[in-house]
Amino acid sequence: MSGGTSIRDRLYEQPGPRTRRRVAAFTVVALIGLGILIYLIVRQFAEQGQLEVRYWDFFLKWSTWRFLLTGLLSTLRAALTAAVIAIALGFVMMRGKLQRNPVPRWIAVAAIEFTRGVPTLLLIYFFFLVLPRMGVNIGAFWRITLPCAISASGIIAEAFRAGVNAVPKGQTEAALSLGMSPLLTFYRVVFPQAIRFVIPSLIAELVIVLKDTTFAYVVSYADLMQKAKVLITSHDSLVSVYLVVAVIYILINYALNKLSDRMARRMNRTVAPAKVL
Amino acid sequence: MSIQTASDVPMIELKNVNKHFGSLHVLKDISLSVKKGEVVVIIGPSGSGKSTLCRTINRLETIDSGEIWFDGAKLPEEGRELANLRSQIGMVFQSFNLFAHMSVLDNMTLAPTSVRRVPKAEARAEAMRLLERVGVGDQAHKVPAELSGGQQQRAAIARALAMHPKAMLFDEPTSALDPEMIGEVLNVMTELAREGMTMVIVTHEMNFARRVSDRVIFMDGGSIVEENTPEAFFSHPRTRRAADFLQSIQK
Repeated sequence: MSGGTSIRDRLYEQPGPRTRRRVAAFTVVALIGLGILIYLIVRQFAEQGQLEVRYWDFFLKWSTWRFLLTGLLSTLRAALTAAVIAIALGFVMMRGKLQRNPVPRWIAVAAIEFTRGVPTLLLIYFFFLVLPRMGVNIGAFWRITLPCAISASGIIAEAFRAGVNAVPKGQTEAALSLGMSPLLTFYRVVFPQAIRFVIPSLIAELVIVLKDTTFAYVVSYADLMQKAKVLITSHDSLVSVYLVVAVIYILINYALNKLSDRMARRMNRTVAPAKVL
Repeated sequence: MSIQTASDVPMIELKNVNKHFGSLHVLKDISLSVKKGEVVVIIGPSGSGKSTLCRTINRLETIDSGEIWFDGAKLPEEGRELANLRSQIGMVFQSFNLFAHMSVLDNMTLAPTSVRRVPKAEARAEAMRLLERVGVGDQAHKVPAELSGGQQQRAAIARALAMHPKAMLFDEPTSALDPEMIGEVLNVMTELAREGMTMVIVTHEMNFARRVSDRVIFMDGGSIVEENTPEAFFSHPRTRRAADFLQSIQK
């Protein structure tokens, strides 16, 4: 139970007694179903010999974890760098798209549509295969980071734009009527308010960037996924390693989503939702 | 031949102003002159163009033809001159429009410090003085959402005053307020009028209009239908449409 009102509270009315009973019954049935499913999966693994000690014992060694953690650090470094670049590019594209002058606007629209439409993997191949042929050589880190950043930038630009458009028009009018220039109005009044609408989708996009960095194997950048592949070959243990790595990715992304929830809630506390009249 | 003195120059002058929203002719050849220190109230049914007229004066609405003059200068169409002119015209909105992400005090000092380059400490002192004057000094460190509607509107008036405007525009300043808060806002406005502020007020508060205004403009269908003294307008309007309107709002 959170302090503020969640979207669910706002969308649905409080359940009555019959609904509450039905919800309780469904919960019990679902839990039983889930239990059966887990049992079946574990039994299947056991039958296939996936639970044998040799597939799991190397996780007791610190060296295994250190090996994975260096990969995780590389993943985080690439994802964070990509995110910062993507946010910067997205901001520039958003500013471009909101210009009255058609030239920057059309350039921004084209850039946004391009980056949103091209698959990340294709961009990675471009940086990995095409750029070197053109004589441009950048390290493996940038070969994964730049494509991930570019591929996220268009979506971030649109998120920014949606946030800016969600700020009530009266805020702009009030600033202009006080003699503030359009630029000053944007940076001091509109954008600071847009940010709070944007943060949840920004963090959601960060999760996608993080997942996109698993393409790092294409450019042989030693991220978490790449390290996992090495472990799999050296221990001949596909299922256990993938399971552990999946759990690591889930935990990080879960933490990011929690962070997003918390930030959204804190912003809603300090600034009550704008009254739209 | 009389010599024109500075006080003869109207504070606000509209000459044959026309505006269309698509096929809708919202302002039909409006001419209006507001003297310095004069309080003009614009009333009329909804959709009559009165809010639009008010908003054209600081170019929050553009016009299609005609001219708008403010204190002897033609209203510029854009850029630094327009911003400079706007900073001399205070505007109060129906929905208050205090900046939602900053404290009331920061609302007050943002424009003076960033547009006029007033030193921060000076701007704060002046802001506190103005907030005290409109009776919300104790709310200075809260964000707008924590204030009542009446408090927000009084703070919004104070924010406009912080720029030392030569004239104030009020676009239905009490229409979004709960009835018990209308009085506190009208009191602040009455005070301002007494001090000689030039004011253009779009309102539905007829008693206030009668008490405070020097002149009443009645608009209907995008035209000024009647211009009269408040006394004459409310007791025996000259036009049929004004009479009908007054009849209709008296239930």
